[in-house]
Amino acid sequence: MDALQTKVEPKPKAAVKESSPEKISGSEILLRSLVEEGVETIFGYPGGAIMPVYDALYHYADKLNHILVRHEQGAVHAAQGFARVSGKVGVALATSGPGATNLVTGLGDALIDSTPIVCITGQVFAHLLGTDAFQETDVINTTIPVTKWNVQVTEAKDIAGAIAKAFYIAKTGRPGPVLVDITKNAQNEIIEAVEYTKCDGIRTYRPKPQLQPSQIDEAAQLINNAKKPYILAGQGIILSGATKELIAFSEKTGIPVACTLLGLGGFPTNHPNYVGFLGMHGNYGPNVLTNECDVLIGIGMRFDDRVTGNVSKYAKQAKVIHIDIDKAEISKIITAHVPVHADAKEALRALIDKCEANNHKDWIGKFRALNEIENEKIIQKEFNPSGPLVMGEVVHLLSEFTKGEAVVVTDVGQHQMTTARYYEYKNPRTSISSGGAGTMGFALPAAIGAAYGAPNKQVVAVIGDGGYQMTIQELGTIMQYKIPVKILILNNNFLGMVRQWQELFHGKRYSFTEMDNPDFVKIAEAYRIKANKVTKREDLVFAIKEMLNEKGPYFLEAVVGKEDNVFPMVPAGASVSDILLEAPAK
Amino acid sequence: MLNRIINILNRRRVRIKKLMGYEDENDFRRGGIILLVHTTADLAEKCKLQLEKLIEVDEVNVHDGSNHYLELSERIVDVD
Repeated sequence: MDALQTKVEPKPKAAVKESSPEKISGSEILLRSLVEEGVETIFGYPGGAIMPVYDALYHYADKLNHILVRHEQGAVHAAQGFARVSGKVGVALATSGPGATNLVTGLGDALIDSTPIVCITGQVFAHLLGTDAFQETDVINTTIPVTKWNVQVTEAKDIAGAIAKAFYIAKTGRPGPVLVDITKNAQNEIIEAVEYTKCDGIRTYRPKPQLQPSQIDEAAQLINNAKKPYILAGQGIILSGATKELIAFSEKTGIPVACTLLGLGGFPTNHPNYVGFLGMHGNYGPNVLTNECDVLIGIGMRFDDRVTGNVSKYAKQAKVIHIDIDKAEISKIITAHVPVHADAKEALRALIDKCEANNHKDWIGKFRALNEIENEKIIQKEFNPSGPLVMGEVVHLLSEFTKGEAVVVTDVGQHQMTTARYYEYKNPRTSISSGGAGTMGFALPAAIGAAYGAPNKQVVAVIGDGGYQMTIQELGTIMQYKIPVKILILNNNFLGMVRQWQELFHGKRYSFTEMDNPDFVKIAEAYRIKANKVTKREDLVFAIKEMLNEKGPYFLEAVVGKEDNVFPMVPAGASVSDILLEAPAK
Repeated sequence: MLNRIINILNRRRVRIKKLMGYEDENDFRRGGIILLVHTTADLAEKCKLQLEKLIEVDEVNVHDGSNHYLELSERIVDVD
């Protein structure tokens, strides 16, 4: 099958007598429900308890494109990647027992990163529940802590309703993962077909907060009187589709904007008001000046510890306005002086009306001045190094050659922070990474999903040698469907981020972080993927261009310095103002 | 539902001293839970917000003082 082909000829079914009311299986009800929800692509892995669904899927090839992964974790991460780039609900399908439990990491990842996915698992026959049957696991109780909602369906008549609710819950309010566990008898049961009804409300679920004018008025007053206002933009901007509003708001009020890791792309990095990336390895200016601003406006971000550093020393001088769709996030970590419980887009539209036109050129100038220090001490050395290749120069070239417009999916570690720092994202839904959970192994399958979610965009997975090997089996998926993902491994033969901490904080005791790696090029070639390895600077430009010019999948290993560190860094327990530009002197 | 609610409190290390769960007399699909917890007012408020996020939870009320637990649980026992 060609890459990204979404429809093929269906396999013929046995003829049905026209006079009888249509009777279909629970499995077919499931598939019809997915089609009604606009699903076109499913990532899955079959097994005994989900076999009736797969049997029904055999006749749905023209409506549902099923991508066979190589591990259920690959399926759920692929569903995440799909959802993150497209804004649609990603779907994963797995069997019972270990198939279902293999989804847990991805579900937890999706929950903390607010990604809308629906995972459907097969389950043993209802009469066997609780008997320790073959491949039976209590999936519902196992996944309660890692899902926004889950449900077990034991009768065919309940499948459509459960799917409707699942999709509604997954994509509304603060998005998140939902799991639907369907017993085998429900999948097999034949009942009369009914018309599918989408869910448009649940009595006890109130996903959309009502904008409170009083909160907006209070926020606007603070902003209008602020001398050093500062916007921290998180993923909520992207989820709300509020990039235009944020740009308009920042331009009208003259307020500088920094982005969190998951907020990257939500505000263009080449905008004059963009001051950088926030957080533990973020830019110097945005971190230091958090503790100088007088009004801090957090929009669609949750003041995660990677952003705040030591909370007791975070923005104590500032009045905090916190705009978020999730009421439980407001004042959870940082007390909001003005809580605004609202959708980001709605809140920004209201604020644009209420806030006065202003400019804070001198204040933005302070960010530029500090960022210039960082540029001289760190960035120029990353872009113009000597010796072995460094991660920064590789990412910088990637950014230049793709003009900041590729979908870049990163794994977790030093390469992730380097990419967040140096890839110049222009658009929302182009920076895809595992933020809250920091799941190593995320990138390769997520890139597969991203390729299906954004088939007209270049998708590049930037991965470390450690994380790559956690889900390397998904090369099989890429091979089978010829998915045009570009895989760029920044190989330092170490679990680099952990090694960095061992160097800085544990007396350089490299306890089990050095990796003896195989020949990655040969592995890629064994999966019939074109591959190359680059070790020298003079070969780098050609190597990256060759990768990007390849129509199909391509693997490039860039061997980088073994003991390079990512700076700046806010050490654990330190204030964001104490961000280090280099390793502390011993 | 009991599991979902208790998970949230466990995660926050909130000590549950007593609890009573019940089905609605007229509709087995509805019900409630009364919990006596030992925690700070601030954490109780944060847990309330997280409990309200549960899809099937309609309402969460926080009362100060263990006498409220006795009052509320006696009402349920009386109905039965």
